[in-house]
Amino acid sequence: MIQTFGHLVALFMILSISAFGGGKVVLPTLQHQAVDKFHWMTNQQFVDLFGISIIDGPSMMVVTLVGLKACLQYGYVIAILGALVATIAMFLPSSILVLIVGRYWDSWKTSPWHESIQRAMMPISTGLILAAAFIIARHSIHTIPTAIMGLIALCLMLFTKLNPVIMIIAAAAISWFFLR
Amino acid sequence: MPVEAPNPDATPQPVSSDTPRVSPEVSLWELVFFFGLIGLTSFGGGLTAYIRRLAVTQKGWLTDEEFFSALAIVQILPGARVVGISIYIGNHLRGLLGAALALLSIMTPPFLLVCFLGLLYFHYGENSDSKALLAGVTAVACGLMASMVFEAGQKSIRGVFDVVMIIVTFLLVRLGHMHVQYVILLLAPIAIWWHRPRHEIKGDDLNQKGSPP
Repeated sequence: MIQTFGHLVALFMILSISAFGGGKVVLPTLQHQAVDKFHWMTNQQFVDLFGISIIDGPSMMVVTLVGLKACLQYGYVIAILGALVATIAMFLPSSILVLIVGRYWDSWKTSPWHESIQRAMMPISTGLILAAAFIIARHSIHTIPTAIMGLIALCLMLFTKLNPVIMIIAAAAISWFFLR
Repeated sequence: MPVEAPNPDATPQPVSSDTPRVSPEVSLWELVFFFGLIGLTSFGGGLTAYIRRLAVTQKGWLTDEEFFSALAIVQILPGARVVGISIYIGNHLRGLLGAALALLSIMTPPFLLVCFLGLLYFHYGENSDSKALLAGVTAVACGLMASMVFEAGQKSIRGVFDVVMIIVTFLLVRLGHMHVQYVILLLAPIAIWWHRPRHEIKGDDLNQKGSPP
């Protein structure tokens, strides 16, 4: 149990300071570690948990659920403790970084390197998000109806301002009705 | 224009300096309530504009310039943007304690909700009803991810080099199974060097651009 906590802390502290461009970029590594290395869950469960996690909160609430599942074998109380440990490990290091950089920001803001870093990091996060999208797609789009729903969601996101949570709830209802 | 560093204790100093701005008095309870409410209603993201409207326009806790300065910091640092902005605002108003409370209050509601849903999932996930329901949820999640790829691509591609970086990153992760941290350690220095400020050519242009909008 202590060992699982240790794994969670070590993993999420590294992912925390690697999440350039938001939490989504660490999904491929998170999936690899949670499924293939530590065997905390199956690929299907990972993608299910990702789907659940985007309902509320900042990107990457899936880390909370990975912590939950990793410790679920020890009972519900320990599982929630694991979720807490994972969440803290994921959000604390990057938060401390914001405070430190915020303190020295003024002298640094006018530096032209700021734009260099921003322009350099954006394509890397795009590549990482692309890789993450492939992982999610492989375990969520298995049938024609799911492909259609995914496509509709993509179009709605790109061309309307509809809140994604409404889409998720609607899709849950529709697929429950038709695919049950 | 000097944007005050996160230093809320600087207010007692006389208004003799060029900034007549006075940090508003904000109680810790108000901070907790504010960020707790954002955490509760942070369905589906898109929160940066929402926080700006509440904190800058409605409450006047910080100026627009301070807000965008914070956004500029948060954008080049790792981590969720909303969390970074919240911490910055908390620190700006009430120092370290304010930052800690902002983090805690914005994270607690989604943490509880997600934990609850997770436990429901592990309890009922195996029955056919929830399997059918989750098929729709994950399909939409996939659509959302795809839309994020489009958005991120649109923002980041400004030349052939950017496209190459996207493809190399993708291949390293997808085929090379390289972890994020190593991908960044490997590629970030190359990309930053490529986009390094070129003083001799257009240093002036860069300086004139100043801070983001």
